[in-house]
Amino acid sequence: MHEDQIRKIVQAVISQMTVGDKEAEQEKPESKPEPGIKQQAKQQAVSPENVCAPNNEAGDEDLEDLSAVDLQKEILVPEPCDRAALEYFKQSTPARIGVWRCGTRPLTRTLLRFRADHAAAQDAVFKEISEDAPAGFDLVRVQSAVKDQDEYLTRPDLGKTLPEEELEKIRRECPAKPDVQIIIADGLSTTAVEANLADILPALKQGLASYNLKTGRDILVKFGRVDIMDVIGRALEAEVVVLLVGERPGLGTSESMSAYMVYKPGPDTVVADHMVVSNIHKGGMPPAEAGAHLATVVKKIYDAKASGVKLTRQ
Amino acid sequence: MKNKNSKEITSIGIDVGTTTTQMVVSRLTVCNTAPGSAVPRMAITGKEVIYRSGIHFTPLASRELIDTQAVTEIISREYHQAGITPDRVDTGAVIITGETARKENARGLLNDLSGFAGNFVVATAGPLLESIIAGRGAGAAALSSELHRNVLNIDVGGGTSNLAVFEEGRPVDATCINIGGRLIEIEPGGERLAYITPAGRVVLEESGMELDTGDIISVDQVRAVTSVMAGAIKSLLSSRPLPQVSRCLMMGPPLRLDYPIHIVTFSGGVSDFVYSGEEICNVREGSRYGDIGPFLGEALREAFSGESRQLVKPRETIRATVIGAGAHTLNLSGSTIKVSRGILPLRNVPVVKPFPGAIPPLPGDLAGGLAKQMRPYWLGGYKEPVAIALRGMDGAGFKKLQGIAAAVAAATRNYVKSGQPLVLILEEDCAKVMGQMLAAILGDEAGIICLDQLNVADGDYIDIGEPIMEDTVVPVIIKTIVFEG
Repeated sequence: MHEDQIRKIVQAVISQMTVGDKEAEQEKPESKPEPGIKQQAKQQAVSPENVCAPNNEAGDEDLEDLSAVDLQKEILVPEPCDRAALEYFKQSTPARIGVWRCGTRPLTRTLLRFRADHAAAQDAVFKEISEDAPAGFDLVRVQSAVKDQDEYLTRPDLGKTLPEEELEKIRRECPAKPDVQIIIADGLSTTAVEANLADILPALKQGLASYNLKTGRDILVKFGRVDIMDVIGRALEAEVVVLLVGERPGLGTSESMSAYMVYKPGPDTVVADHMVVSNIHKGGMPPAEAGAHLATVVKKIYDAKASGVKLTRQ
Repeated sequence: MKNKNSKEITSIGIDVGTTTTQMVVSRLTVCNTAPGSAVPRMAITGKEVIYRSGIHFTPLASRELIDTQAVTEIISREYHQAGITPDRVDTGAVIITGETARKENARGLLNDLSGFAGNFVVATAGPLLESIIAGRGAGAAALSSELHRNVLNIDVGGGTSNLAVFEEGRPVDATCINIGGRLIEIEPGGERLAYITPAGRVVLEESGMELDTGDIISVDQVRAVTSVMAGAIKSLLSSRPLPQVSRCLMMGPPLRLDYPIHIVTFSGGVSDFVYSGEEICNVREGSRYGDIGPFLGEALREAFSGESRQLVKPRETIRATVIGAGAHTLNLSGSTIKVSRGILPLRNVPVVKPFPGAIPPLPGDLAGGLAKQMRPYWLGGYKEPVAIALRGMDGAGFKKLQGIAAAVAAATRNYVKSGQPLVLILEEDCAKVMGQMLAAILGDEAGIICLDQLNVADGDYIDIGEPIMEDTVVPVIIKTIVFEG
């Protein structure tokens, strides 16, 4: 497949997210489109090449790193008549509001920032998890039925299945019937896994230990999608399965992670039996605190012997 | 809308002031405001005053003595009138304000009343907290965040005027001055002075009058006195050195005034005469409440009319303090916390903030600094719970938090061993993981209360209620006494 095609797919995936199509994918069930982003995403999709960026003759080292600027603190209106109110509004939303010029002619600065954020989102999707990363964890590494990155993006069904030899490996190397089986998958953002794992995983395990819940060996799935947690959970007959997975990146952050949980997945398990905690990243729910919170949710599932809608109805 | 995601809390406010005693019942709604897939975020989403009592004169047995039994009877009748029983009250505040707070048996009154105010009660206010409560109850705090303008609320009661400045809904400064409508009492509907408080004597002297109890006061004399009083209040808003009379009557530090004041609001019993525009022709008419309150209101209107600051009538006037006490004293902690069982509620826990800014980056410095700062509190043994407030954990990962937990555990080991609960108040969202770390270090038997997303200052006192909403949050009342500049 050509790189162009792949880019088109990614663009489609990302714009789907920004217009809030909830059914299309499971990785991010509660996507909350910000109106500003939505509008801009549409503009971008219509005619990105029509907008001129000025030639900048300065060397790279003299250029400001736009993506390092905190958008919520950046006031682009030259002489706001009520600066305090504008600052307050900017603080209240990550949407790109108060960008001074709107419509088809945004400021160069706004446009470049949008492109930079878009590029970061693309990178997060395209980057493959490297062989030695994440470092410092004792993980059993397996790969879904997907061969490579192209296939991963075009064949969601394969990302949900595990070949027989990989299942064998799991049965061989992981203790069966753990109270809690933790699985990590790259999902749609490798960046999310790399950014959060070192904080969320120890916090989750500390919390589980305080409830006397035993975990087996943690598993890392390359090219893994959410449903793979049920496959692995069944193979190991785990009581509760927790999946930490990279969320489909947006323009706000590419580091966001979700945690899915399910009680004893089996042949009758349906989507509604799963629970999710989303928006885990340093600008959302801090990963360490999220890990501690997850442990409480897992304990509740374990005690109730049910998850998802079944648990809520109890 | 009754479901797992929302809870209604019944809150009582009782204000026993110099002149009047009032009660309100309010209903606060606590709701999870986060979307289903996110970590819960509990917030107070509704505040509704469902019952307002009549405005009763505070019964006094003598000048120095509140008639506690009569006050308790008033409250008992109002409970009946409101159709509410003490066991249905979740939270609330009894506040004894103004001059009355200084009277000798105020404490006895609190004891009498605590049976009526449920199991979670603020007992004391103090002039600065009173100012903030009145400002919140008046609606000045809300006004400041709606308009993005700094609002100064002046609550003028019988004995004191309480000033609080709000910026974006937060109190940034407060003070109190011993000026009110009841400094000088006149026979109701008459012209003869019935009583003059010590503060009343100060303003009389300042006005150059030699009047005493039993003398007849003329309308010009009353106007002269109230004009001095209004001037003393107004002088607090100016950066010029305070006049003698203001200095004499201050009950707190002067306002810092290192911020602009855009809007001024008046609340309290006297405020109605600030806004009514009513002209009072003679003393007999103005003395209908037995004091000089109506004249003081008129004088304040005059003093503040030519001001560049906008004079706005707040949502609540005479009931500001009682509504503030009933509906605006409660905060919620963050929604991921660690609370050991059987310790809460805790009341009047002093807050120690060992580091004015962020905590030191090195665990060694943190442990050393903590031990040093806590020593004075623990010299005489571990007699009472102390809350330790820390900030500066923004973006801290697991390893860094572990270092902080180890340092805190080391500095508080003996305190915890003595059986006192370790109460930790963190500004950033990390209480649950920190609490679990501390439990892992100190052991399960240690009592640990670890709360976050609360802004407290050194010298505050806090009340912590029992957890609600499936143990996700605790109600907290922060009693702020000092301000950080």
